[in-house]
Amino acid sequence: MNTPSPRPAPLPLPFPLPLPAAPAPARSVGACDAEIAAAVLATLPAASRTHLLALWRSFDNDPVAALAAVHAGEAGEHWLGPRAQWSDRIAPERVAAIMTRRGTRVLLPHDPDWPIPADCPDPPAILFAEGDAFEALLRPAVSIVGTRAASPHGLSDARELGAHVAAAGYTVVSGLAIGIDGAAHRGAIAGGGCTVGVVATGLDITYPRRHTDLFAQVRAHGVVIGESPFGTPPEQWRFPQRNRIIAALGEACVVVEAKATGGALSTAGHAMRIGRALLAVPGSRRNPAATGANELIRDGALPLLEPRDLFVALGLRAEGARFSTAKSVPLSVAATTVRGAFGGDAATIDQLVSRTGLALSELSAALRELERVGFVTRAGGRVWPQ
Amino acid sequence: MLAAIPSASVLGIDGHVVMVEVHVSHGLPAYGIVGLPDAVGRESKERVRAAILSSGLEWPLQRITVNLAPAILRKAGAGLEAAIACGVLLASSQLPGGALDHTAVLGELGLDGRLHHVPGTLVLVDALARIGVRRIVVPTDSAREAALVSGVEVLPAGSLAEIHACVKGEFPWSDVPPPDDEPWTPTDVDDGPDLEEVRGLTSARRALAACVAGGHHLLFVGPPGVGKTMLARRLPSILTPLSNDDAFDVTRVHSAAGLAPAGALITAPPFRAPHHGASGPALIGGGSHGRIRLGEITLAHRGYLFLDELGEFNASVLDAMRQPLEDGHVCVARAGLSVELPADFVLVACCNPCPCGLGEGSCRCSDVQRARYRRRLSAPLLDRFDLRVCVGGPEREDGPGESSAVVREHIERAQLQQQARLDGTPWRRNADVPPRQLPRYAPLSDDAATLLRDIAEFRALSARGVGRMWRVARTLADLDGDEAITDVHVNEASVLREEIL
Repeated sequence: MNTPSPRPAPLPLPFPLPLPAAPAPARSVGACDAEIAAAVLATLPAASRTHLLALWRSFDNDPVAALAAVHAGEAGEHWLGPRAQWSDRIAPERVAAIMTRRGTRVLLPHDPDWPIPADCPDPPAILFAEGDAFEALLRPAVSIVGTRAASPHGLSDARELGAHVAAAGYTVVSGLAIGIDGAAHRGAIAGGGCTVGVVATGLDITYPRRHTDLFAQVRAHGVVIGESPFGTPPEQWRFPQRNRIIAALGEACVVVEAKATGGALSTAGHAMRIGRALLAVPGSRRNPAATGANELIRDGALPLLEPRDLFVALGLRAEGARFSTAKSVPLSVAATTVRGAFGGDAATIDQLVSRTGLALSELSAALRELERVGFVTRAGGRVWPQ
Repeated sequence: MLAAIPSASVLGIDGHVVMVEVHVSHGLPAYGIVGLPDAVGRESKERVRAAILSSGLEWPLQRITVNLAPAILRKAGAGLEAAIACGVLLASSQLPGGALDHTAVLGELGLDGRLHHVPGTLVLVDALARIGVRRIVVPTDSAREAALVSGVEVLPAGSLAEIHACVKGEFPWSDVPPPDDEPWTPTDVDDGPDLEEVRGLTSARRALAACVAGGHHLLFVGPPGVGKTMLARRLPSILTPLSNDDAFDVTRVHSAAGLAPAGALITAPPFRAPHHGASGPALIGGGSHGRIRLGEITLAHRGYLFLDELGEFNASVLDAMRQPLEDGHVCVARAGLSVELPADFVLVACCNPCPCGLGEGSCRCSDVQRARYRRRLSAPLLDRFDLRVCVGGPEREDGPGESSAVVREHIERAQLQQQARLDGTPWRRNADVPPRQLPRYAPLSDDAATLLRDIAEFRALSARGVGRMWRVARTLADLDGDEAITDVHVNEASVLREEIL
């Protein structure tokens, strides 16, 4: 599983890396005809991945020539007929205008900065990318994925892991989804690093809408990429497709919390298939949000108990990388009792009363004390130990 | 000949006096009824005629016109039939003129001349008493209910023939039957489940007691099977009897709805538990011109409305409850009339954290499902709950809790203390006190004030949120028999109002 990746060897610690200045996505219609031509071709209803790849091959990686041929009806049978019909929506000027307005870049397989490694068995034919930190795609990367219905513990683990990975100079790749994905992106940004969000829609569509602010942050601290042309709505079948890109971009793939079925396991499957290091954060067998991750460990994934386990898998020395543990803060007797009553799992107020024997008012005060120092959080009516 | 007899008909929860005028004149035999009777009223002709003939009296073969005044009010039900029959007898000189002066008549007739109970007798008699009627003939079945109104002489009669005989003086009016010894209660408290059977759940039990003592709306949230409904179903076992005024109000409402038992004051607070399929009119009240149906919130007036599975109720129905929750009454407006119905109730509700019920961390619901579920419980509605408790099931070591009798004692003590404090104010319970009046009617000790400010800052509470916590703290102090609110009560109040969903 730990096949060495063809990436340049990661830099030794300590970090941060000195980085080249971000190549600004400055572009004009005249200078970037190839990108616009490729974007227009990808927008055609006839443009599937295989057909686009075939087109690049036939026209010697020249999208401009390919576009001219398709337009003239000389690019083969597939590109004829209603599927290749031109409409206003896919007029080259219009696509060019959108790309200029949004600052979108188009990456193609023959580009020198094509981010997908050559060992990827089913690479995309085109990638749309938007963002202020294109160096995110040049750095070595780790994919962090997980369930949307994450527990507060999972969210906090994903955030910390994202921060550690980012601080180590790696890019955090994830899917911009609710839950673990979002926490990983946020952690990377908080850790002062870059992050790449891979979306299954067109780049002009923000899905999920609740993550509008996160999309903006990821654009500011990295890039948002996707293989679908502008205007592609969220469709169920596109998400597993998107997951293969997430898996391919990372040198290792970490599953923080995953349910028994779901997108995180599909990413893990892709990562395993292309020989990426696969790690999973174990959880209680009683936590349905950890079932998938636990099963991955049973099936051979490396358990990730501390962030350093990831760095070891990547071939780095990183003894110090640990999840934060509770600082030692002087606590009242009641608060200490309450802290001992969780058993590692969330509990309701009533359960804590029964376990500690404290009066309701004493428990209330103790919980507030613990909450102030960050030892517990409250969510969904339960108290979660940190 | 013309005869006019006062009677009354129900609209909403109020009786409206109806003057039944009967005119018998020469002409071809005919019977006409005017003055907006409903379908039941129009059918009365056959019943009145059969009842008069069955009673051995004479149906005048003349032209009979019945008018129900005021003509603009739509009259519902069959309660005016006895008055029409008496009017016919008077107008056809079968009863001496003036024999029924200053006397009202209520009752529905059977074909055999018997008088049947009229739903809403209490409100009808009350309305007639208010306009100065001093003697009211009522069916024997309704007599005890009528006698609850003071200042009127109730004349019970079993049949039209009896009225005829008594009015002519051939027979004395019978006495009102004595009231039942056993007061009727809407739920059988003594045989109901007891709080003792609920293990653990300290804060949930505390919230339930505070809900009854101070009239705070209460919401239990938790996965299925942890005891939310079990607790809420035991609420009737800790209720305290209604005051006399409240009992009269409740009996009026139940009488108007035709739900009151004959002749007894309802002394226990109502506890209504409609199913979550309830429609808007069923919950809020509705109906059409002439026949206003009371909603569950009105039937729960001065009592408790229990909504199990709150998240399964129709969102618009729930939001329609917001205004009555705030105002204590609901205005049902239809084309042509609008009726104000009382709806001063305490809302007790249970719901799951999400459609699958398992909640944070273990939930199997999709984002969309969860969002849809949460949208149903709008923030303004959730904000109305002073008490919001997450229930998580008992622990293994939990023993049985306090019995209902003990809790009821604490509640009685709290209510006495609360009444003494709020005496002479427009508010009946701690939950009614507006935030601005709290410093005066629920003063905080210095410790408690500091703590409350501290908690408000830490939790970033709105002014309204602070007010709600403050009121709950007052009730908790009352439950403990304390005159002053201490930091203990503020601490407790802070965990009894969780941010949920």
